[in-house]
Amino acid sequence: MNLVLIGLNHKTAPVEVRECLAPKPEALEESLLELTELPGVREAVMVATCNRVEVLAVADHDQAAQAIAAWLAGNKPLEPEAVRRALYSHRGEEAVRHLFRVAASLDSLVVGEPQILGQIKEAYRAAAEAGASRTVLNRLMHKTFQVAKRVRSETNIGGAAVSVSYAAVELAKKIFDDLHGLSALLVGAGEMAELAAEHLLANGVERVLVANRTLERAVELAGRLARGEGVGLAFGLGDLPEVLGRVDIVITSTGAEHMVITQDMAKKAVRSRRGKPVFFIDIAVPRDIEPRVGELDGCFVYDIDDLTQVVEANRESRRGEAARAERIVAEEVVKFNRWLGSLDVVPTIADLTKKAEDIRAAELARTLHDLNGLNPEQKEALDNLTRAMIKKILHDPIMFLKDQHFHASDRARREQLALVRRLFHLGENGED
Amino acid sequence: MSSALHCATLAAYILATGLYLAFVVWQRRSLHLAGRVALWAGFGLHTLAICSAWLESGALPATNLRQSLDIFSWGLMGASLVINLRRDVMILGALTAPLCSLLLLAASVLPMPDAPPSKLLSSLWVAVHVITVLAAYGLLAVTFLGGVLYLAQDSLIRAKNLGAAFRRLPSLTRLDALNHSALVAGFILLTVGLITGAIYAQIKLGSYWRWDPKEVWALITWLLYAALIHTRLVQGWRGRRGAWLGALAFGVLLFTFLGVGLLFPGYHAFDSLPKLEGNLP
Repeated sequence: MNLVLIGLNHKTAPVEVRECLAPKPEALEESLLELTELPGVREAVMVATCNRVEVLAVADHDQAAQAIAAWLAGNKPLEPEAVRRALYSHRGEEAVRHLFRVAASLDSLVVGEPQILGQIKEAYRAAAEAGASRTVLNRLMHKTFQVAKRVRSETNIGGAAVSVSYAAVELAKKIFDDLHGLSALLVGAGEMAELAAEHLLANGVERVLVANRTLERAVELAGRLARGEGVGLAFGLGDLPEVLGRVDIVITSTGAEHMVITQDMAKKAVRSRRGKPVFFIDIAVPRDIEPRVGELDGCFVYDIDDLTQVVEANRESRRGEAARAERIVAEEVVKFNRWLGSLDVVPTIADLTKKAEDIRAAELARTLHDLNGLNPEQKEALDNLTRAMIKKILHDPIMFLKDQHFHASDRARREQLALVRRLFHLGENGED
Repeated sequence: MSSALHCATLAAYILATGLYLAFVVWQRRSLHLAGRVALWAGFGLHTLAICSAWLESGALPATNLRQSLDIFSWGLMGASLVINLRRDVMILGALTAPLCSLLLLAASVLPMPDAPPSKLLSSLWVAVHVITVLAAYGLLAVTFLGGVLYLAQDSLIRAKNLGAAFRRLPSLTRLDALNHSALVAGFILLTVGLITGAIYAQIKLGSYWRWDPKEVWALITWLLYAALIHTRLVQGWRGRRGAWLGALAFGVLLFTFLGVGLLFPGYHAFDSLPKLEGNLP
């Protein structure tokens, strides 16, 4: 079976190359049509994300792979040679394995990140709509989704946060359950704090207040985060004792040399909140929050080292899970290959003959059992009769199959074989 | 009939225990759902068992230790199931299922009451008194369990130990909400139970309050839970302090329920309940 996968990813190509190769969403359908018109290309799916651009195709011959590579490198404002150097190409079993690994997020920049599966589903949908994905790729893509799902449910690969922002959100969810409707406060208007705030907003936090040494920067950042006017959300550092009682999550990142939030301030804040908890995230070095704040009821303090440790521990456990995921992928590749092999002629003829012979043997045994008193010659005559019938009946279908083997095109042969297998209910080898 | 139902209840609770332990290990939502079905089925059987024992003896079967444990476990299971309809603390079943199984097992080996219940105990007043008080005990036990889970999760987060236990325990806010609703509902039922008991004592025994040891300890328990609610609502003691105070109150409650019934003489004591006499009309 001539499956080929050609592409590049974050390991082989810098972002300037990747973004040039990825077609714009509105041009994707046209790209797919161009691909299927390349000589020898029967089916194609194109996956383009910010980390990878890959073409998966069913091809008649090896030249098709080169045509796809040339198509990827051509017509781009890039040195074609640079693109070619970044391209990798996998065939047959290796292509299947690569696809399974990508979908299971084993090939991602952040192993276990969940977006890639959705992106591949999207790519498949586009290909199916453009008519570029048919018998083989339809089957392969559905299998891919199953494998990714299996990896996700049988391993804990996506289970634990592997970035500081994710870790903070995960912790916040174990304190507050749901971040919807909560308020956060940034103390200090640094870039990292802004990133963390963006992440909190994306996870449902309702508003972000900003307190900063210079009020102008606070207003500016608060406005940017609120996508509008930031005046009511911005404060000077002097307002901290009062503002602290109004928020659930506090992220500090000032450059101050002294503690910005003291135990006394935190105690008053929690009291004014009737004991509702506050989650302090201190990403400043040196620290902004007195460590003793963490001893108070309802106050949880994590500094940058704590979060980094959480992330490191999670990365470690993900590596273990990734090894288990690789085993699942290997297993599924074998199963899929068995199915691919079953699309060939010889196994189909064997299955067909076996089925007929099984039926003949069973029926003959039953008849001989019912007809007592037959002598050996009579028994042998019955045996020969049924054998001859089977042979004559199967002769034409088998000739037809052999004809497919020698004369039909790949695609026609696969379709005819699938029909014959369905007609005689031969099952699909490699099915689970 | 009631003993067959008793065994069926126990079987359902033990099945649910297995399902919930598997859920704790493998974290499959389907295991939790199956466990919950087993618990609801067990609770239905439990209710039938109690009703049939009630019909058989003519009085609510709560006249000795065996029957009291039985009804207490019924109250605990009912409380946790009903509360969980809103709060959805999945792991709670992993505590209540084994706990109620043990309580029922203990009840199974304890002796049945040796005398038929006194006529005084067949009144509906007594039934309301006993059911509300024991349902309140069940709810307050849920508060206690929720408090234990809260303390566990709180200390894991503080210790920055974000491993398997951290992932399996629910969030602090969710546990806090569970504790809050169970506490308030339990306190209201406890109040109703004490008042109905006092009224019935006035009708049948001639006084609202007789300084019986059970009455005194029940009052102490009630005052402690009143204090718990007050500190929670007014002073915001929801976190560790609230959980510790809740544990103390629950300890006193257990003493009131079991210790006083076994150790002190008095008309509430487990061995004198069936023979209770008063100025019958």
